[in-house]
Formats: sequence, C-alpha cells, structure tokens
Amino acid sequence: MIRFDHVHKQFPDGTTAVDDFSLVVPSHEVAVLLGSSGCGKTTLMRMVNRMVDPTSGSVWIDDDNVADLDPVPLRRRIGYVMQNAGLLPHRTIADNIATVPLLEGVDKKTARQKADELLQLVGMSTSTADRYPSQLSGGQRQRVGVARALAADPNILLMDEPFGAVDPLVRRDLQSWLLEIQAHLAKTILFVTHDVDEAFLLGDQVLVLREGAEIAQQGTPDEILDHPADDFVRTFVGIDLPSRRRRR
Amino acid sequence: MRFFLAALEFIADPANWAGPTGIGARLLEHLLYSGLALVLAALIAIPLGLYVGHTGRGRELAVGVSGALRAMPSLGLLTFLAVSMGFGLRLSIIPSTIVLAILAIPPLLANTYAGVEAIDETVVDGARSTGFSEGQIVGQVELPLAAPMIVGGLRSATLQVIATATVSAYLGLGGFGRYILDGLPIRNYALMLAGSLLVMALALVADGLLALLQRAVTTRGVRAATGQSLGPDRGRPREQRATSASTTGAQP
Amino acid sequence: MNWLSSNLDQVLRLTLNHLAMAIPPIVISLLLSIPLGWVAHRNRVARQLLLTGSGILYALPSLPLFVLLPIIIATKILDPLNVVVALSLYGLALMVRTATEAFDSVSAEVRDSATALGHSMGQRFWRVDLPLAGPPLLAGLRVVSASTLSLVSVGALVGVPSLGYFFTDGYTRSFLLEIGVGIIGTVLLAVIFDVAIQLGGRLFMPWLRATDTRRARR
Repeated sequence: MIRFDHVHKQFPDGTTAVDDFSLVVPSHEVAVLLGSSGCGKTTLMRMVNRMVDPTSGSVWIDDDNVADLDPVPLRRRIGYVMQNAGLLPHRTIADNIATVPLLEGVDKKTARQKADELLQLVGMSTSTADRYPSQLSGGQRQRVGVARALAADPNILLMDEPFGAVDPLVRRDLQSWLLEIQAHLAKTILFVTHDVDEAFLLGDQVLVLREGAEIAQQGTPDEILDHPADDFVRTFVGIDLPSRRRRR
Repeated sequence: MRFFLAALEFIADPANWAGPTGIGARLLEHLLYSGLALVLAALIAIPLGLYVGHTGRGRELAVGVSGALRAMPSLGLLTFLAVSMGFGLRLSIIPSTIVLAILAIPPLLANTYAGVEAIDETVVDGARSTGFSEGQIVGQVELPLAAPMIVGGLRSATLQVIATATVSAYLGLGGFGRYILDGLPIRNYALMLAGSLLVMALALVADGLLALLQRAVTTRGVRAATGQSLGPDRGRPREQRATSASTTGAQP
Repeated sequence: MNWLSSNLDQVLRLTLNHLAMAIPPIVISLLLSIPLGWVAHRNRVARQLLLTGSGILYALPSLPLFVLLPIIIATKILDPLNVVVALSLYGLALMVRTATEAFDSVSAEVRDSATALGHSMGQRFWRVDLPLAGPPLLAGLRVVSASTLSLVSVGALVGVPSLGYFFTDGYTRSFLLEIGVGIIGTVLLAVIFDVAIQLGGRLFMPWLRATDTRRARR
C-alpha cells in the first residue's frame, strides 16, 4: 500500500508543484495519475522513492514513513520505469537488468541467470542479453526498463510515462503486455501518464489532476466516464469526442 | 637542409644516445618532468572535475580559475617561482613541476566536468532512482561515461606539458630543451634542431598513444551508440565538440 | 617600484614589441580559419586533411618551432617574423578545428529553412551560417588570444625581444620585481584582449545578450 498524507511541494524557485495531496493506493492495484505536463504528477510519484522530498506532509509505504528510510535501499526495493528507460549506455542488457542485484553484491553468474529469466518474462529473446541499449529499438528498451525494475522483486512499481516515447502501435502492444504480466505479478503500481486512453485501459483507479496536482476527479475509469465531475474533466478526457463515444 | 641532415645525423648516431647527457638520458628526464606534473595535475583536476560535474557546484569558479591559469605566461611563472622559492634555483624540479602542473590542470578540469555534464540526464536519473548511491553514480556511471573526454583532456594536457618541459631546461634542468638552449649561444643550429625534432617526435608519439587509450576507454556500448566514426572526436558528444577550443590552451 | 619608473621606456617598448608579434597571429588565424573551416565543414576529404594537419601542427611545441622556422623560411633566428609565423600556424591549427566544428554545430533545420526561404549559397553563409557559428568561433578566438600572448614571451629564450625579456633578464639577476612586471604586463594584455574580443562579439552578435543565460543543472 502507498499512502500520500497531505503532501505539499514547493521548489526552491518558489513554484508550487503539489498542493495538499492525499491518496491511498491499495496493494496489488494500479493507480494512474493522469494530467497534462507540469501538473505535478511526476513530482508526486518521485516522492515515493524519495527522488523528491515533500516540503510538508508524508508518504507512507505500508507502515513506514519513507522520510524515515534511507533513500538508497528504499529505491532498490521499489521498481522504477521511466520514459526513456534511463538504461546505462555502457553496460550490456543483462547487466542493466541485473543492476540492483549487482549493486547488492550478487555474484555475476546468479545475476546473469536472473537477467535471463527476466528477459523471458518481458517477452524478449535471451540473445539480446549481451547487446547494448543503443542496439535495441525503443520498445525493446522499455521492456528492458521494466525487467530492470522487476529484478529486485519489488512490491511496488513506479512507472513514469513508460511508453511515452515509443510509437503508437508499439505502445498498444506494451500496454496490453503490461496488463498481462500485472494479472499474475499483482504489483502495487503507481502509473503516470498524460494519455487518456492509456489511463483508462490500465488503471484500477484513475486520478485526473489539475495544476498543482489538485485532484479534479478520482474513481474507476467507468465512474469517470459516466459521471465526469466537471467541465475540466469532461474536456480533459474528451467525453464529447466521437472516438471516446465509439470506444465505449 | 644542411642543418636538417646534420640534426638527423646527430640523432641517428648511437654514440649520442648513451651516457648521462645522451639522448636516452634526456628522454628519460623529459618523461620524468612531464609525467610528474601530469600525475600531480590529474590528482587535483580529475576529482575536482568530477565534483563540479556531479554537483554542478563551483562551475563558475572552475571556469574562472582555469581561464586565469591559462593567461599565465609559463616562462614568467617558471622564473618567478624559481627565484622566489630560494631553494628553487637549486631544486629546479619543484618550480618546474608546479608550473607544468598548472598548465595541465585547465584542460583536465574542463574536460572532466564537461564530460560529466554531457551525460544524458535521464541516465543519471535512472541510476539514482534504481538505487545507486551518489558515490556509485560517480564511480560506476559518470566516470566510465566521461572517460573518453577525460582522456581527451589528458591529451591536450600532455601535449602542452611535453612542449613546455622544453622550457624547464632554462632553469638548468635536463630534457630535450637542453639541446636547444645549449646550442643557442654557440650557434650550433644542428644541435638545436635535433632537440626540436626530438621534442616534436615525443609529442606526436605521446599523442598517438593517448589516442589509442582514448579509444580503449570508450566502452563498447557507447561506441555502438555513437556509430563507427573514427577520429579524435570519438566518444565526444557533438555539442561538446564545438567547444573543444575551450579545453585546449597555450603550449610553448 | 623605482626600477619600474626608471625603466618605463623599456617596459613600453617591449610591450609594443609584444603586441606587434601577438596581434598578427590572432587576426590571421581568425580570418583564415573561417574559409578553411567552411571548406572542411562542406567537404569530407578536405575535412580529413585539414583536421589531421591541424592536429599534427598543434602537437608541435612552439619553442622548437621558433628554432625550426628560420631554417625552413630562411629568416634569421632572431627575426620576430619566426615568432609571428609560428604562432600564426598555431592559432590556425586551433581555429580551423574550432571553425569546422562551429559550422557543424549550426542546426540542419535552420540551414534547411534558410535555403527553403530562398537564400543563395553566399547569402546563407553570410546571413545564417557565419552568425550562428559566431559564438564557438568567439570562444576559440579567446583561447588563441590568451595562448598567443603567453607564447610570445617564450621567444625571449631565443633572443627575440618581448615582455618575456623581463623573465630571462630577471632570472639571471634573481630580480623578482622585474619578473613580476613581465607577468603582470602579459596577464594585463591578455585581460584587455579578452574583454575587447568579448565586446566585439557583443557588437557583432547582439542576440547573444538575450540568450546568454546559463542552463541550470540539477
């Protein structure tokens, strides 16, 4: 379980990114933060693994206030997937996937085994293990990014626009693939996106955010589509769009 | 042409290679002065550059100090230190090493922090969010990725130091500069030319060897990313290349 | 300070000597590097030749070059022309590389849109490529200026008079003040040149003032 308790974030330059935000993400569920860029959704997510510390308020993982935890081990037990995968260009795919086990001092052989397993889990051939990130396609790199996040067998996955940089067809593939693996991995996932379709496809609950990470509406995809809270939500999720009507 | 042949004859004569004032000894002296200064400069500049690049702190200061050091005339600094240190006139290697190190610091420092800064920010961010400690980020991510540029800085520094070590002979030290300064008063142009050719050869050989080192420290993954282009720019991101002039400097 | 006031004439004369040997290389290397850099930027073969050539030239130490040149261009060893030619070659080696990379750094989109708007090749060079290559050229020129002013003094070792004379003379007499005057004089010239080049840059590239903000990192 992830819990945000009245968090607030003001950056040194004076801008307020997050203003009094609270949320509970129950274990094994996918919560999607949906909003346009600059609304503070990434800042919120980065508070969970202490890449950002809130100015006030607290973030809890189960019964632990993350502020009381050492950030480095904390990050190692939380999977993090980012838009451009953020792989290390000078390390092989296998070493990238086994990043956390290697940091924890696991021997090379065990790490390699783990990497091979994960490659298969994310639907890639183990023949890519010795290649470098620059030799893979964007979609493949994102799969490797997910594999790396899963390597420490974390309970929590943070996904920051993980499919934002790949082309639409591949994005579809990756989305349904994520649903598939989530069906049996059952991680607690916090997912950030500005893509409305993606949010409604993946989220158990979706939070539509305004600027300052203010929650415009929170609910299941059906609740939001059936009863948009206001005009902002209606416009943002495009309920009046023909494509949206067709989709339902 | 006459002098050229005489100089080449001088270099080719095995008799001139042996003994305490032979070419072999002068070569070792030249390498010693240069090596000492480069090691000293690297010990100061590389950690400092990593710090500046990693934290982004002290950048303006580093730029300012490097600029100021570059404007310093080496010959002036050399004579000033030798005279003012008192013992500097007898232990000339101390002022010489200091001046040569001062010369080597700006390119090493600038290339180190520029190399770290040139790393794609998402790579560092990804490493941090995966659970690398700050020390691990510096040692396992920034240092290897900046290595080609750091060696690039070492190349410019080495060229300048080998060149300027010639001037150290003015303080009575050895090295190839001896031939140039000893030949001058007796108008032995062949000797001066021989010394000049030897310094140039040493500079070119050292630069070639460091070019190979630069190739070696460019990891396969990065090489795959930057394509198969050959040449001294290998491993340097494009936006850095345009500013390469700022990483080089004076060399007597 | 007595020494300074009684030797003011000499300081002035040597400063002028210094300038006379420093200015031509700085100007020559800028003026020649622009066409050479442009050619290297446009043509693969020229690029290989020019960049390899300047790389080797740059690796040559200057004191030996001062000795070598009289033999090649048949001047006397004490002729200031040796210093001027050597330092011009040097400045050029640095500037050709800088200019090539400066032209490379002009974004292809900007260049494309300039062509699409109907600039001829010449117009594009003067109105688009050269101005946009300006900032890195300026940065390179600042390095050339500082290194040239510093290197001129090395000529004193082979007897060519400049502010470097104070270094050799002060050293033989163990006279710190004299060496100090030489250092301060050289640094002062370097600072004046640097400021002048930057002012020149602002004059020719007024848009730089608007974009001269350092990117904030982390």
